[in-house]
Amino acid sequence: MPRIKGEMRRLSELHVGEEGQVARLATPGRAKRRLFALGLRPGARIKLLRRAPLGDPLEVQVGESFIALRRREAEHILVDR
Amino acid sequence: MGCPRCDTAVALKKPPQERLLKVALLGNPNTGKTSLINALARSALKVGNWPGTTVERLEARFLHGGREIVLVDLPGAYSLFPTTPEEVITRDELLKDPPDVLLVVLDAGNLERSLPLALEATELGLPMVVALNLVDEAREKGYALEPRRLEAALGVPVVPTVASRGEGTMALLQALLRPRTPVPAVRYPPAVERAIQALEKKITHPAARFIATALLAGEELPGFKAAREKAAELQKALEAIGVDPFLEISGARYARARELFEEALLGHNPRPTLTEKLDRFVLHPVLGPVLFLLGMLLVFRFTFLLSAPWVDFIGEAQAVLAGWIAALPLPALLGSFLADALVAGVGTVLAFTPVLFFLYLAMGFLEASGFLARSAFIADRLMALAGLPGRAFIPMVLGFGCNVPAIYATRTLESFADRLRTGLAIPFMACSARLPVFTLFAAVFFPKNAATVVFALYLIGLLIGVLTAWLLGRVLGAQASSGAMELPPYRWPPLRVLWMQAKVRTMNFVEGAGGPILIAMVLIWALLHLPPGPIENSLYARVATTLSPLFAPLGFSDWRVVGALIPGFIAKEVVVGALGVSFLGAEPSAALGLLAGAGQLLSAFLTALKETLGALLGLFGAPQLFAASTAPSGLQAALGRVLSPAAAFGYLVFVLLYTPCVATLAAIRQEFGSRWAAISVAYQLTVAYLVALLAYSAFPR
Repeated sequence: MPRIKGEMRRLSELHVGEEGQVARLATPGRAKRRLFALGLRPGARIKLLRRAPLGDPLEVQVGESFIALRRREAEHILVDR
Repeated sequence: MGCPRCDTAVALKKPPQERLLKVALLGNPNTGKTSLINALARSALKVGNWPGTTVERLEARFLHGGREIVLVDLPGAYSLFPTTPEEVITRDELLKDPPDVLLVVLDAGNLERSLPLALEATELGLPMVVALNLVDEAREKGYALEPRRLEAALGVPVVPTVASRGEGTMALLQALLRPRTPVPAVRYPPAVERAIQALEKKITHPAARFIATALLAGEELPGFKAAREKAAELQKALEAIGVDPFLEISGARYARARELFEEALLGHNPRPTLTEKLDRFVLHPVLGPVLFLLGMLLVFRFTFLLSAPWVDFIGEAQAVLAGWIAALPLPALLGSFLADALVAGVGTVLAFTPVLFFLYLAMGFLEASGFLARSAFIADRLMALAGLPGRAFIPMVLGFGCNVPAIYATRTLESFADRLRTGLAIPFMACSARLPVFTLFAAVFFPKNAATVVFALYLIGLLIGVLTAWLLGRVLGAQASSGAMELPPYRWPPLRVLWMQAKVRTMNFVEGAGGPILIAMVLIWALLHLPPGPIENSLYARVATTLSPLFAPLGFSDWRVVGALIPGFIAKEVVVGALGVSFLGAEPSAALGLLAGAGQLLSAFLTALKETLGALLGLFGAPQLFAASTAPSGLQAALGRVLSPAAAFGYLVFVLLYTPCVATLAAIRQEFGSRWAAISVAYQLTVAYLVALLAYSAFPR
């Protein structure tokens, strides 16, 4: 898990309905490019819409896109409020 | 603007009038490309596959404005820097076999997200037209857009369309005859731009600028050896001054996409969409799973209830043909070969086609409507227990109906490793063909606990299947596939395309799996019928007798019981028939007159039609859970004499687990190759033996 500082939080720790701005993707390897392509990149506004029945995966909204993410992946996405 | 590659000569060169105009559709997933090609092509649409893959390829060839146009739908891509196998196909096709016109499809309701791909496309050096699709959805979301501003900025024709209603298609066809080659629309930071231009000089390809950006960003591209070496050098130099080429290149594209979007945007008055409203229920923490299970039940019943009458009809037709053959003055052996090997073999293959067709319809609808992605979201955590993604749930559940369509349903999974792991777990799901064996033995040996025994068998299959998927994940060392996926907006899919896709996919099965199934049927027929005479003297009896000591540790070594496992390879329910023949003797098919047979066929067809309509109405009715065995009582008594209850249970476990049936195996071979088909047989035989041994030894006596 990436280390975090200051006002930054992990996307996985947002409350449902909370919004923020993607600060950094600590995602390793090619998976990062996939997330970029889906619109999850630094500067993007992001909102946690809901968690799946057993708490995982999460659904986030980025612009007009609705993206499902596993919690493990969301832990690597750092968000500024 | 300092144009880095003013190759206007390409734009001025008129395409020769007589030549075929090849148009490729490029767009993000879920931008309505399928609907668009359907609207443009109408009846000319053809469904196929990309060579060497199971990725579907839509194509159409038709005349417009005196030109013969070929439309090809490229697999959906978010970027030409690929992260999925589909995106690799799209990029490679554009570079290796560039179209005459590139038709870029944008989602007007998600414009900022679809623009980066269009910007990448401007670097391909191809004449281009843009379809601004789904303008109706954009309006519903409260967007006011000005396509002409986009046209001015990109320098290519931009045509607003609503593909699902055919709006804008005539204008789009006209525009395809007047494409323009855009000026590359992204400017990169100076250091990166210089590196790109230096690389471009080493590349002789119309898409030199795009290729230069890809190499610089560290993309794996086949070929371009000289440029690749140069790229590595430039990359190092950039990194030395603290520049990450990938981040700079993609960052510049996204920034330009944002600018273009804002230029084209007149105003936005956000309104909640139907998708957001529906998802409040569909993805609700409590209601969601309930709806999900109901949906699964519906898919299951749609597939198997609607196909059942046609499977019966094919069986009926097979019986009529056998009757006609029996009426012919043929030597007994030849008659048997025609009826029991050839007709039965073809019948077996065809009997799968209704199931597959209805399955493909259901799966196609789920996928194109947006429901499949939701079901993956709901089931993801549960399937993670087996190390599988949520999308594996549907194939696993279908396995309880029939393993064959379930194997093909794994195509909706994204990675090969996930497909393989699900595919090899599926044969352990107790399909409906195993039920007749279960009910027969349960009736003889466990009359009081029949339901418990059958339930235990289902559970054993499920557990071993899940364990198999999990273990295989360990062995393959496959990292868990990314769970990141789009939940696309709900849309009503183009049903005509779904119908065509289902037909083509079903035909793929007949062509790919038909041969192996037929060969297996002929081989097993030869075992049973050669040399001619009573079954005790057949090759089959000899093979079974040789094998039977192997099964003594499992408690059953009667050659007739062991032997029935061999034809059980065709379909597990055949075990019951084979036991009947071994213990009671064969019943020859009765001769049938031409007219009587035709009458029988017609009435069977009408029955099937009537029952399909009935099933359609009964889709939502209560499921029938358990049917009593209808095997002849003579067989039941004979089995009771040769087996103990513990041995019978061991036998059932073995029948549950041993080898996929021939059709499942043919499907596994088609999807994963011969090697994995062989591995699955060897693995299942081993597992079946060990678990049956355990079941026999541990059975309470």
